[in-house]
Amino acid sequence: MITFIHSSDLHLGKPFGRFPEDVRARLRQARADVLPRLATLARTHNASHILLAGDTFDQTTPSPQVIRQALNMMRAAEHVTWVVMPGNHDHANATELWRQIAQDAPPNVAVQLAPTPFALTPHATLLPAPPAERHPGRDLTDWFDDAATGDALRVGLAHGSVTDFDSSEEGGSSVIAPDRARRAGLAYLALGDWHGQLQIGPQTWYSGAPEADGFKHDKTPAALLVHLQGPTAPPHITPLPTGTIHWQRSRLDLTGMTDITVAHRTTLPPLPARALTLFDLNVAGYIGPLDRFALDASITKTAADFLWHRADLSGCRMTHDTSDLDALDSQGALRAAATALAVEAADPNLSTETRATAQDALSHLFAVALEE
Amino acid sequence: MKILALHLSNVRKFTGQRASITGIGTGITVLSEANEFGKSTFFDAIHALFFEKYSTASKPVKSLQPYAGGGVEISADIATDQGEFRVEKRFLARKSAKVTRLSDNTTIAQDDEAERWIAALLGSASDGPAGLLWVRQGLVGLEPDTAREKTQAMDARRDLLSSVAGEIDAMTGGRRMDRVMRAVADALGDLATQRGTKRGVWKQAADDVAALEAEFATVNAQVTALNAALVARKQAESTLNRLDSPEGKTRRDTALALAKTALDAARAHAGLVTVARQDHDLAALHTKATRNDLDSFLAALDGLQTAQTFVNKTKTASDQAKIDTATRKLSLDHAAAQHQTALTAVAIARAALEDTRVQITARKARNDAALLTTQITKAQSISTERDTANAVVKASGATPAWLQKVETAAADVALHTNAISATATTLRVTYDAAARITQNGADLPANQPIVLEGETVLRLPGIGQVSIFAQSAGPQVKATLAAAQVKLDGLLAQTGATDVPDARRIAAIRAQAQIQFDRAQGILDALAPAGIAALHSAKAEADLTASAAHDAPLPAIADVDAAVSQAETVATAAQILWAQADCDHTAARENAIKAEAAADTAHARLDHASTNAGPAESHDSQRADLLRRHAQTDAALIDTHTKLQSLIAAAPDIDTAQAELDRAEAAIKAAQTERAQVSERRAALSSQIQTLAGNGIEERRDDLAGQLDTARLAEARLAQKAAALTRLQSALEAERVAARDLYFGPIQEALKPLLSILHSDAALRFDNDSLLPNGLSRADTDEPLEDLSGGTREQIAILTRLAFARLYAHQGRHMPIILDDALVYSDDDRIIKMFTALTRVAKDQQIIVFSCRQLAFQDLGGTRPKFEVTPL
Repeated sequence: MITFIHSSDLHLGKPFGRFPEDVRARLRQARADVLPRLATLARTHNASHILLAGDTFDQTTPSPQVIRQALNMMRAAEHVTWVVMPGNHDHANATELWRQIAQDAPPNVAVQLAPTPFALTPHATLLPAPPAERHPGRDLTDWFDDAATGDALRVGLAHGSVTDFDSSEEGGSSVIAPDRARRAGLAYLALGDWHGQLQIGPQTWYSGAPEADGFKHDKTPAALLVHLQGPTAPPHITPLPTGTIHWQRSRLDLTGMTDITVAHRTTLPPLPARALTLFDLNVAGYIGPLDRFALDASITKTAADFLWHRADLSGCRMTHDTSDLDALDSQGALRAAATALAVEAADPNLSTETRATAQDALSHLFAVALEE
Repeated sequence: MKILALHLSNVRKFTGQRASITGIGTGITVLSEANEFGKSTFFDAIHALFFEKYSTASKPVKSLQPYAGGGVEISADIATDQGEFRVEKRFLARKSAKVTRLSDNTTIAQDDEAERWIAALLGSASDGPAGLLWVRQGLVGLEPDTAREKTQAMDARRDLLSSVAGEIDAMTGGRRMDRVMRAVADALGDLATQRGTKRGVWKQAADDVAALEAEFATVNAQVTALNAALVARKQAESTLNRLDSPEGKTRRDTALALAKTALDAARAHAGLVTVARQDHDLAALHTKATRNDLDSFLAALDGLQTAQTFVNKTKTASDQAKIDTATRKLSLDHAAAQHQTALTAVAIARAALEDTRVQITARKARNDAALLTTQITKAQSISTERDTANAVVKASGATPAWLQKVETAAADVALHTNAISATATTLRVTYDAAARITQNGADLPANQPIVLEGETVLRLPGIGQVSIFAQSAGPQVKATLAAAQVKLDGLLAQTGATDVPDARRIAAIRAQAQIQFDRAQGILDALAPAGIAALHSAKAEADLTASAAHDAPLPAIADVDAAVSQAETVATAAQILWAQADCDHTAARENAIKAEAAADTAHARLDHASTNAGPAESHDSQRADLLRRHAQTDAALIDTHTKLQSLIAAAPDIDTAQAELDRAEAAIKAAQTERAQVSERRAALSSQIQTLAGNGIEERRDDLAGQLDTARLAEARLAQKAAALTRLQSALEAERVAARDLYFGPIQEALKPLLSILHSDAALRFDNDSLLPNGLSRADTDEPLEDLSGGTREQIAILTRLAFARLYAHQGRHMPIILDDALVYSDDDRIIKMFTALTRVAKDQQIIVFSCRQLAFQDLGGTRPKFEVTPL
């Protein structure tokens, strides 16, 4: 009856300000490239529509460049109809945004700003539930139950978290009944807001964001190819990978590790993938000065492999034994200084800050002394 | 290493020559030659051989080149633990370096490899420990002049210590410790100044944070403004929709029409109310008029009755007032009589008082007159006595002054007489019988000297006559006596005195009279100070007053005075009663007059009331007529009032209707105004929104927020790094200082025996940074090195090198000590002691001494090498 692609949370124009400029540019470009990628998938899989379930834009007032370029890409994919519904980030009361879109949108873009039925095809009607506020605080899909759509199959389009599923990315944009599809007789309920792909029920899916924007979700970003054969027939869902930038957060627990360098390597993705990976390493456990030196060296060496790399060693606790300090010197002032710092770093009677400073000082000492 | 022989070819003065020193001993070797021998040339050449690269053209190397130019060639035969070798270098031309094992004449290293072999021999890079052991001509300090040389010397000391005392190196950390500390200091210096002020990347990070915070605040404010503008525009649009809705317009028009209709109806009803109110007001006037007529008639009747009552009442009052007036008149007359009687009694009492007072005065005057009579009599008697005495005084000239003059003159005569007598012949006669001797007929006095002068003829009765011729006094004496006698006689003649005794008697009489006069005058002054005539006048006046006196008995003045007071009191009381009675009478008279006037008035009012009420016989008919008329008008008034109230109750509020109309009109006008204003505001907001949104500020704000978080993290990491480096630096410094204390031990130990040769109980103090002595402690004094004499500093410099060399030798690494004209500042005594120290060290240490002081160094002993110069 109808085949469409379900996606959401493109967050076009998201600045990614926490990253260096080159990484930011790369991440923004990756998000912009999602639109032609979805268009290509639609063409490939004969999808007539691409349903974007909210948060297409990251802000209520994105720059004109972001809006215009997005509309231009949609215009270029003239073989498909883009159904764009506001989310909590670009809610319907973002008047300037939607005014500009209404002004510049090509014919193959259908903006859903009001909770009124929209005919996707003569046989399929879309029931949109656009948020008018960032935090509507009510179930905007209530009206689906009584919406008159004749004999056409009913497709719901909503943005927010479900009642029994604390899934909201930012504190809950709305509260959607998880059985809304059944209660409203929907053939499919396309949801947005949750950036990871997730099935809620037989007819209810979160498509997830087509490009990851954080380390929260470990699944590969993808869109959903939805094929509906009839009002009551179960939908046929096919995930279509769309992500190009990998976000990986790894934890390295040093407890019981004998070879720090090897342990570190086990946390790393394959070499070919690293250039497009944002890698966030969290190290925890106890570590000796020598191992710390080795770990620092290993991290420094591998960090350059990644698009972006961060290693958080604040969870490390410095420990030391005689052999560690012997590596520095068996006796003498250098050794005495190292011993003093090691004792200070492990002294529970000292403040956390003082111990951390001593620990870092010891690391620096090893780094400098062992550079020879 | 020990040097066995030295060879220089084409070096400085040895142009085209080869100069050799051979036979150098393993202990002390002294090459003592005169100036210009070339000692410093050898010294510099050895230095260049060991410490200058063969490839260099450095200044020290160039200084070795002779004026004629050409390559410079230097070689040394040395002995090491591995055997004997020749080290040779050629500088500036055909540059080369070579090490040859002498045992088999095999070249074991060339050029750069030879340099490395030499460096290894010396123990380290740069100048090595050996550099420390070379003492140039006139050197007195321990530190070289240039920074580079200082660094090299420091490295040399480090290297020496590292080599000779492993435990010291271990304790101090040696050069590794220095490198670590330098690295830490460099790393910290990249982040902060010594005072902890941020610099470099840290400062940049902090600046980035500040800049991002500022920009974020700006952009965030813009975003807030944008959101506010969006909300405001939405509200404006909502308002416009409300204003433009057809329902709203219809509601406002309908309200206006209804308000107009209601106002017209209200105005019409108000007209009916006005007419009804006029009818009611007219009826009220009629009712009021009939009421007034009735009230006036009834009031006239009341007035008539009241006037009659008043007439009766005033008449009674008038009669009573007249009776009161008569009664008061009687009282007044009685009081007047009483008052007059009292006044008479007062006059009588006052007369008695006056009479008593006159008698008292007269009787006193009478007594005074009697006393004055006696006084006058006595005064007149005294006056006579005084006048008599005064007459005597006035008549006599024998005043005390005159008497004094007489006495003086008499004494003068007696004086001169005695003088003549003393020289004159005297005769004293004593009579036994009655017959007397006479002279010039007079008897000669008996029993007294009689002066005889000249011829004196005495007749002796019964006998005859006797003539006596006596010698007389001189004429001048006699003249003086005569003058005195004349003066005396003159004075006596003034008063008629016969002689001096008479004069005295007359003077006594006068004096007695003067006393009498004075006494009488005193008494008279007491009795009649104003004179006797005044006494007579007083007596006459007293007599006049006393003439009224009689001798009848007199009452006591107090009694008479009391009687006067009592009479006056009675008179005063009577006067008061009389005055009160007069007032009462006057008041009664006034009351009577008023009562009579009131009665007249009452009659007048009665006449007026009678006129108002009309004839008495018509009073009843008039009352009935007036009551009827009033009832009719009152009924009419009630009827009109009922009609009026009914209309008022049914009347719409015209003000409310007007207000309703005003409000409806205002609502339409306000809607028009509001629409214009809101439209204008919406346009302005749209412009503002488009401007702000067009800049993508929300995206920029989020971007900045992320950047700010990252920048803050970066700055925090750098702060933590700075803290860690600071802590590391302090830990290293603390441990190095602690270890350094251990470092000085061996040096002191090596120096101690050498120093004691020169100074017993002396010790050197070391500097923490340079690791060199910086002071000398002797007995109770502690002197900085720079304060010591040149000779002492020179000796300490050499001894310190010897100490280092001993440490070095103890580790089996022998390095020669080379002294070039050292000890130039030392005196003979000290130089001998220094020779002792050198000799002591030379037991296991090669020392090569170059000196031009042949005599002074003769006592040093040691090996004397062979020196020869040959052409090339």
